[in-house]
Amino acid sequence: MASLSLGTSRRVDWRVVAGSRELVILGFILATCAGATVLSPYFLTVLNLRNVLIASATELVVAGGLTIVLVSGGIDLSVGSTLGLGAIVMAEMFDAGWSIPAVVVATLGVGALAGALNGALIAYAGLNPLITTLGTMTIGRSFVFILSSGYALSAIPPVLKNAFNAETYGMPNLVWVSLAVVLLLDAFMRRNVWFRTFYFLGGSEMAALRVGIPTRRLKFAGYVASGLLASLAAVMTVARMGSAFPNTGTGIELRVITAVVVGGCSIYGGRGTVLGAALGVLLLNLINNVLVIGQVSVYWQGVASGTVLILAILTDIAGRGIRR
Amino acid sequence: MTAPERAERAPLLELRGIQKRFGAVSALSEVDFELYEGEILALLGDNGAGKSTLIKIVSGYYRPDAGTMRLRGEPVVFSDPHQARAAGIETIYQDLALFENLDVAANVFAGNETVGSGWRRTLGFVDFSGMRARATEAVGQMAVTIPRVDQTVEAFSGGQRQCVAIARALLWGRRIVIMDEPTAALGVRETGKVLDLIRSTRERGLSVIVIMHNIEHVMAVAERAIVMRQGSRRGTVTISGATDRDAHDAIVRMLM
Repeated sequence: MASLSLGTSRRVDWRVVAGSRELVILGFILATCAGATVLSPYFLTVLNLRNVLIASATELVVAGGLTIVLVSGGIDLSVGSTLGLGAIVMAEMFDAGWSIPAVVVATLGVGALAGALNGALIAYAGLNPLITTLGTMTIGRSFVFILSSGYALSAIPPVLKNAFNAETYGMPNLVWVSLAVVLLLDAFMRRNVWFRTFYFLGGSEMAALRVGIPTRRLKFAGYVASGLLASLAAVMTVARMGSAFPNTGTGIELRVITAVVVGGCSIYGGRGTVLGAALGVLLLNLINNVLVIGQVSVYWQGVASGTVLILAILTDIAGRGIRR
Repeated sequence: MTAPERAERAPLLELRGIQKRFGAVSALSEVDFELYEGEILALLGDNGAGKSTLIKIVSGYYRPDAGTMRLRGEPVVFSDPHQARAAGIETIYQDLALFENLDVAANVFAGNETVGSGWRRTLGFVDFSGMRARATEAVGQMAVTIPRVDQTVEAFSGGQRQCVAIARALLWGRRIVIMDEPTAALGVRETGKVLDLIRSTRERGLSVIVIMHNIEHVMAVAERAIVMRQGSRRGTVTISGATDRDAHDAIVRMLM
């Protein structure tokens, strides 16, 4: 898999380009669009494609953080709970009369803190990432119910709702925010000297240690980034919905992990790009959209996502076979 | 065996009275060790003789319990591998410590990637073309052919991997390169090429410490051999060439 073609080279190796996961997923996306256009006249409309992007926006931001964690060789199941916790904390603070900037900063702080807790347990105490984040996921969701007493909160200032829902060039701003996060993070993961060390860490922790990469600090930073982006997704969700529900973000971790793996991230670390992960998110949302338009029961969505995940991994194995 | 012409030269690296214990086990006791400028020194001995512990002290991985280390006559203390690297000592471990998921250039520059100039510096973006060019140059001078520096190393042969690891050590090692059994897992043809790589390391003005088990390989590249046994230095042999029977027999006797 050549998902990580490090930078540009003058001689282009077309086999590498054709084997890149981003192009494979783009192919899947185009095929889905083509099929859907044939099946339904409602699919290829600006309004519908807009809806797909809006539905994907928060997942795209969460996917950025999960890509960093997966590339570094870890996993973060707690992003959904962090999102939910951020949403409730936000709504509670608005209830208490805090100003918008203070609330946004505090919400991002809650995300960073949740990430720091994961990071400290995994990087410094040496706990297993899957088990640790399973634990913090459970704890986080429990806190959401404790803080909200199980009720939805909706004292969200219209200014904030407007900031994210107002349209620029025909798209709500939250879509632009999510695209900016994806493109910036993708560029930095590919090219920035510090972000690139995540690929070294995920490739071989022992080798990274030997070449002087501060592996613990880096692992820790990956979880902080993941928590921070999950809380940004919380801000976006609350602004979009105009309220925070106790179940906000429930299950998003598995949906996004599926999408990110479809997009080419290895669960063993070291491989994957933010762009690929974003395309994975778009593909899964597109498929759900097609199912809805095709009036297929929503209960089939899981079958579709799971099948795409397995198909994506199969094409990956087939691609490797050709390249060897 | 003695080496009179060596005795007059000041060693590049000198260890005196090195001791290292792991719990109740004494890994090294009162070991002296010296490496001269521009030489290839072979380190031999059975498993558990203390070879690996000794090189891990030189590369900053372990701190000795007692003893001194001098580099160019200056006392040095390495508390982590980073400090040893900063002093110009590169170590190629037996497992090579390569990143399978990354290309040759990234492997050569691992942990030392260079940032570009201008707007790239502001964003901390790395200088891909510069690193590729230097990596191409580094691997190009070697006996083993690397097809492309923008290829991931996962499909590389043992000799090609060794070449990438040595290229990395050559680029960053300014004084000493330590190799832990570089020929252990290779076929006949690739072994010959790796021995050439070791010789080319010395031609670059670096001194080499190489751990080896195979006496023929030692005879083919090394000028001096230190034999270790049960945590102490058994003896030293000066090798005048690959056909030096006396040196060969002396090494064999010490290993017995």
